[in-house]
Amino acid sequence: MKRSTRDLVLLGGAAVAFAAAIALQLIRDRRFPRDTHQVEQILYVRSGSALQRMTLSFDALAADVYWIRAIQHYGGDRLSGPQAQTKYQLLYPLLDLTTTLDPYFNIAYRFGAIFLSEAYPGGPGRPDESVALLKKAMVAMPQKWQYPHDIGFVYYWRFRDYNSAALWFQRAAEKPNAPLWLKPLAASMLARGEDRAAARFLWQQIAQSEEPWLRRTAERSILQLQAMDQIDQLNAVVKRFPPAAGELYSWPDLLRRHVLRLLPYDPTGTPYEIDPSSGQVRVAAQSPLFPMPQEPRRLQ
Amino acid sequence: MRAVRTVAVNVFRESVRDRVPYNLVLFAVLLISSSYLLGQLTAGQDVKIIKDLGLAATAVFGLFISIFIGIGLVSKEVERRSIYALLTKPVSRAQFIAGKYAGLVLTLAVNVGVMTIALYAVLAYMVWTEPPTIRAGWDAPGIDPALLKAIFLIFIELMLVTALAIFFSTFSSPILSAALTFGFVIAGHFNADLKNFDKVVSSRAAAMLARGVYHVLPDLSAFDVKTEVVHGLPVTAGYLASTAAYGLAYVAGLLLIATFVFSRRDFK
Amino acid sequence: MTPAIRIEELTKDYAIGFWRRRPYRALDRLTLDINPGEVFGFLGPNGAGKTTTLKLLMQLIYPTSGRAEILGRPVGDVAVRQRIGYLPENPSFYDYLTAEELLNYFGELFGLDAVARRKRVTTLLDRVGIGAERKLQLRKFSKGMIQRIGIAQALLNDPEVIFLDEPMSGLDPLGRRDVRTLILELRDQGRTIFFSSHILADAEALCRRVAVVAGGRLAAAGRLVDILAFEIHGWELVMSHVNPEMFARGGAPGDGNLAGTLRVRALARPGARSRALRPDGRGSETGVAESDARHARGFLHAPRRGNGEGRACAAR
Repeated sequence: MKRSTRDLVLLGGAAVAFAAAIALQLIRDRRFPRDTHQVEQILYVRSGSALQRMTLSFDALAADVYWIRAIQHYGGDRLSGPQAQTKYQLLYPLLDLTTTLDPYFNIAYRFGAIFLSEAYPGGPGRPDESVALLKKAMVAMPQKWQYPHDIGFVYYWRFRDYNSAALWFQRAAEKPNAPLWLKPLAASMLARGEDRAAARFLWQQIAQSEEPWLRRTAERSILQLQAMDQIDQLNAVVKRFPPAAGELYSWPDLLRRHVLRLLPYDPTGTPYEIDPSSGQVRVAAQSPLFPMPQEPRRLQ
Repeated sequence: MRAVRTVAVNVFRESVRDRVPYNLVLFAVLLISSSYLLGQLTAGQDVKIIKDLGLAATAVFGLFISIFIGIGLVSKEVERRSIYALLTKPVSRAQFIAGKYAGLVLTLAVNVGVMTIALYAVLAYMVWTEPPTIRAGWDAPGIDPALLKAIFLIFIELMLVTALAIFFSTFSSPILSAALTFGFVIAGHFNADLKNFDKVVSSRAAAMLARGVYHVLPDLSAFDVKTEVVHGLPVTAGYLASTAAYGLAYVAGLLLIATFVFSRRDFK
Repeated sequence: MTPAIRIEELTKDYAIGFWRRRPYRALDRLTLDINPGEVFGFLGPNGAGKTTTLKLLMQLIYPTSGRAEILGRPVGDVAVRQRIGYLPENPSFYDYLTAEELLNYFGELFGLDAVARRKRVTTLLDRVGIGAERKLQLRKFSKGMIQRIGIAQALLNDPEVIFLDEPMSGLDPLGRRDVRTLILELRDQGRTIFFSSHILADAEALCRRVAVVAGGRLAAAGRLVDILAFEIHGWELVMSHVNPEMFARGGAPGDGNLAGTLRVRALARPGARSRALRPDGRGSETGVAESDARHARGFLHAPRRGNGEGRACAAR
């Protein structure tokens, strides 16, 4: 066979072989998706110190890998729907490993702060793990004010423990380069406890972060607070004009009686729902703002 | 075909005379035996540990054989100039590459075979000595035929790594070939992370690039079913077949390109 | 009659240098025909392109242009390798194999069945003189022994055409004589032998036709006797270490011993016929025969030098 023919056959054959390989890969991935849930639950190395030794001097790189896995685990579980019982199980171990390998991995700490404490189905609902991770951050980087601030935030928003929250905000305020609003925030926390304005303020600070996902979460929370305000107003109006005896609460009824001029909708444009028996207005299940955070109780 | 077989048998003979695989096999056997001692320390978990260790040792030692003998297959012949006498016999350059590859695969098969037998022997001993109550608590039976699934895929993976080593050795020096092969092996094991890049990165271009790299690099993480097998989780025949077929297709591609490069070379 | 080996305008360029790649011409448009049944010497100094030519014929390297045929088939045809044998320059094989195993390996590649192989291997090993070392690993072989096994593997398949690159290298005089005998034997069996060497004496003993390459170019090709023929066109007598007293006395005869050294040189040019074979047609002076004659006695005239001329005078 001539040389050029032979070369063509070889290269053509190689191209066909690689194309076949990729095709098989796609087919296999579609028909036999690797059950990352089950396998991942068996995270082999849980001990950070053991992993540190294993990765020799490539700690930072290994940290990056675990960070990517943490995000994928979170994202995968979030998108996979509510059927899995053991969702987000590995989020804390992965973030813990990431930060053991690279104690200065700021973004991992802050990610954990927000998402570990987020209630199901947005997260595992483990604010205690958030705090543990953040305390680890404080050991690694004691001069940063963000970590005690985040701990204070978790205590405020998730634990509803206003005294502890105030203490942590105070501690944050004492760090170098701390923003000036931390001290008054601590004070007002002690004085008023629950305050939607304080919450809004805190979230607005976070909304200025450089991380896009932090911004998105903060913006969503701010919209939720806005919705809460709107719901309060709607509830007040609806209560003043109850339906006729024997009838149920409903939007058409209220519109007919000219109590409302338009169908009310939340800041994302999804119409609110009204409970037929109690008249409570709430955010619809299909709204992006669902589920709404629990309303903090007033300080007694 | 006769030429391919002859060259292959000679490769096998060289690997035996080099004594390297014997040392490795011996070491792996010792390792498996010592894991038995370790297992005595952790009640009930010894079988799992031995399976884990045995499979991992098979994979790792097989990897070393693949890489270190693989990179020398072509380059040693050229370096010590025995290739001048060989290529002037009735054997084409394509048959040369195929024969060298087949010879190393044969060597690997023998080595992996020996290690598998050793692993099953140790497991058989454990099952024999362990009381039935503890045996009931195991995720998977002691002498589990499912281990062969993992070993099968490990073997296909080793075939892929060997093809990579030969491919690189047709145009680079042994040290560079070793580094490149090793790099590709490590990258290939992290391949699965690349697939899900689009969930992490916002830039679509980066996600497409990652997806592209995922398909181009050898997807070695797919061959790793050790965890499933040890925990008794199912591995379907379809998965085995499609992954093995993927591996073989990739091997074919590598060998064809290696033949192409090798056929154009001048042996000064 | 189809030539056993036909080479047409065979050229090989190597690219030298990293940035501006200049081509280095290792072989320049070589054209040669070798007839079946002859022993053909391919001569030239080191680096002339001899090994390059052989490697091109074996398709170990690829030509930049030109073509070559062996036994009527283009070079590189795998089937024709069944009928040829090749001994590389400074051969080296597989350390870990024994002599027997090496020949068996190559024998298998030739498709010899086990029985035929065993017989052939034994015969060949004895013929090249390493029968006693058949089970010795090649790593323990000396250079001369490796050369011998190299020759053995070149003859394994009973080839019609045999290519030998410096077959005598590494051999002591006895070994060289053995190889010379072997080559003549092979010629008598009707095989074609093409061998390269930088030693003229080997060619003189074995070949009728030769080609001479230098600097990648064919310098001369034809019958050896033609290339080596010379015309003698003059004699020169050279005297040295003469006692100056002798001249002072005016050259009186019979005065006694005159110590000195006398040399006779024949001045020669390449023969007219072989000059025609050279493409550039240049001639040059070559001193061919010299002899020393010491302690000459008798009358001497001071020699007069001139180009191609000399005075001869009586001397004992």
